[in-house]
Amino acid sequence: MSREYPLGTIRTEQVWKRFKADQQRMLLRDKVEQAVRRLRGGRGEDWRWALRDVNLHIEPGEAVGLIGSNGSGKSTLLKMLTRVMYPYAGVIDVRGRIGALIEIRAGIHPDLTGRENIYLFGALLGLKRREVAARFDDIVEFARLGGAIDRQVKFYSSGMQMRLGFAVAAYLEPHVLLVDEVLAVGDAVFQQRCLDRMREVAEQGTTIVFVSHDLPAVQSICRRGIWLEQGTVRVDAGIRDALAGYRDSIEAQSEAGARAGEPLELLKYEIRGEGRENLTTDEPMTVELTVGGDYRGDATLHLGVSEGTSSPIFQLSHEIRLGGGDHQLACVIPRLPLPRGRYTLWAGVYSIGRTDGGTLMSWHSVGQFDVFGPVLDTPPRAVVLAAPVFVPHQWEE
Amino acid sequence: MGGQRAGVVEERESRVGADRPVPDGPPPDLVFRRRLRPVQVAHELWGARELVRALAERDLRARYKQAVLGFAWAVLTPLALCAIFTLVFHRAVKIDTGNAPYTLFAYVGLIVWQFFSNTMNQGALSLANNLSLLNKVYCPREVFPLATMLVATVDMVIGIGVLGLMFLVFWTAPAATFLWALPLLAIQFAFTYGVALVLSVAVVYLRDVRHLLPIITQMGVFATPVAYPLAKIPQRMQEVYVGLNPLGAVIEGYRKALLFGEAPDAALTSIAAVSSVVFLVGGYLLFKKLETGIADVA
Repeated sequence: MSREYPLGTIRTEQVWKRFKADQQRMLLRDKVEQAVRRLRGGRGEDWRWALRDVNLHIEPGEAVGLIGSNGSGKSTLLKMLTRVMYPYAGVIDVRGRIGALIEIRAGIHPDLTGRENIYLFGALLGLKRREVAARFDDIVEFARLGGAIDRQVKFYSSGMQMRLGFAVAAYLEPHVLLVDEVLAVGDAVFQQRCLDRMREVAEQGTTIVFVSHDLPAVQSICRRGIWLEQGTVRVDAGIRDALAGYRDSIEAQSEAGARAGEPLELLKYEIRGEGRENLTTDEPMTVELTVGGDYRGDATLHLGVSEGTSSPIFQLSHEIRLGGGDHQLACVIPRLPLPRGRYTLWAGVYSIGRTDGGTLMSWHSVGQFDVFGPVLDTPPRAVVLAAPVFVPHQWEE
Repeated sequence: MGGQRAGVVEERESRVGADRPVPDGPPPDLVFRRRLRPVQVAHELWGARELVRALAERDLRARYKQAVLGFAWAVLTPLALCAIFTLVFHRAVKIDTGNAPYTLFAYVGLIVWQFFSNTMNQGALSLANNLSLLNKVYCPREVFPLATMLVATVDMVIGIGVLGLMFLVFWTAPAATFLWALPLLAIQFAFTYGVALVLSVAVVYLRDVRHLLPIITQMGVFATPVAYPLAKIPQRMQEVYVGLNPLGAVIEGYRKALLFGEAPDAALTSIAAVSSVVFLVGGYLLFKKLETGIADVA
């Protein structure tokens, strides 16, 4: 405790947080009932742990992605870092000015103009009036409000209101920036703007903690990933490892609800490089598949490759005619564009000419394979998710 | 090499899995306790002064924009009450106000009462109305009731301006002892803020309190010597009364200082002062203690 950590450091030591299990009402009647129950010697309240024993040490300038399924405690942790919420036990120490990139539409007063609201937000976020004034033009530009700035906010579109709340937070210039699910709102252009702004901030050496279900977005910003599961830190590692672990667990869960009862199934598959056994970047790759089932007729076979569940790198399709028995086919990719890494193969078969989509074998991950080859060149500091393909190239000077 | 089945996954999990087992519960010595360091609290509150101003400004501006009469309401409400009081109490009940005109007498009380009831009613809801904000932004929470008190102060200043005009109308000058009003003002602020703090955090935890507010307001205006002098309360009860409701001593003191040219009663004023400090400090401590759970119940 006595040691002084530099600005921008985030430390949590054995942080625990619990919530009441039943928290629908808070009438006086309920409180009285509760007190009576406790007096009679029964259990007063049920608690459930939202976070258990969370230990983190984040250095200044690190960009950390916080991932995990709903209810895993991500937002709770972030709230405690913002100091909005207090832990049940443990030590939380965040050095320097904390900025939360959050949508604070809640604070907008509809009768005030955009300009007045910006100053109000600035004050709420801890900015001095002249600090807001100095950034005013940037803020208006970021929110793309233009001429509407002196109009009452109740006449704004909901998108404009959202951007207004956001823009002020984006120009805080804190030591620690906390971002919770910003990308769920706003159009694509604005989301891109937010990500760009985060990269900009990251480049200036601000510590970033980013909570999102948009995994590619997390990967594009963060170098380190913390995967929370049921309130504990499951994995705290490089972003690739954390995401891979998280994706695998999602996959395992969705795999559990198997594709039983579908007309076709994948009996066998094989992925190989030509000549040598290993798959190598920029060398041929062959995928051999055997599909079996009762279905007779024309169908489209889809194949895809991803680095995880959500972002396919490429996908191919081919029309096949099935005759009721096993059907064997192979797909050859002459020059594999994938860099070194681990990938997932996906497959699915759909019948042709049926309006209901005619799923014969639904799109599912088949298995994983490794590619050997060059590691992609290091991207600039602010761009962590490199373009996922390898492009043969040479430099000249 | 054949099809690489998903069996490789295990290997990864073992590599990056949690490196230490999670205990059943937190170590008792690390359980969070609210510690208040007065210097730190004061520093933080001082740092939030612009926020208090901005919040108060928001309310004032919004009110000005919504209502046709805007700030005139700050004057019209006490004036209307004053007119009612003059009709009912002065004409019908006949209250002895000494030499002072009754309207002036009642108006002094109404300024104080109006300030208190505005701060209490708005302040009590100041947290509850901003819950979604409190869930996202950190700031010292006591600024919300403080901002509502600032708004009420602006109203009071306008009311005092009207009081000045009334002195002109009734051709009496405020007595030279009017400087006594300043310490009384401090008591008034301390008590009012203390009450607002307690109520604001109480409303967050117990929604029922919201419904208590109109009752407190209704009863308070009669339970406080607004329409009548403090002398109406039996002499031996006055000390206890003032201890529970410092506003009684405050209003009585103002009247003495402004209308009768006397110093406020020393004993009653000191009791009120002590009581208001108890309300303020007690309210503040309670507020700070319960503040930590606001985001949990919101």
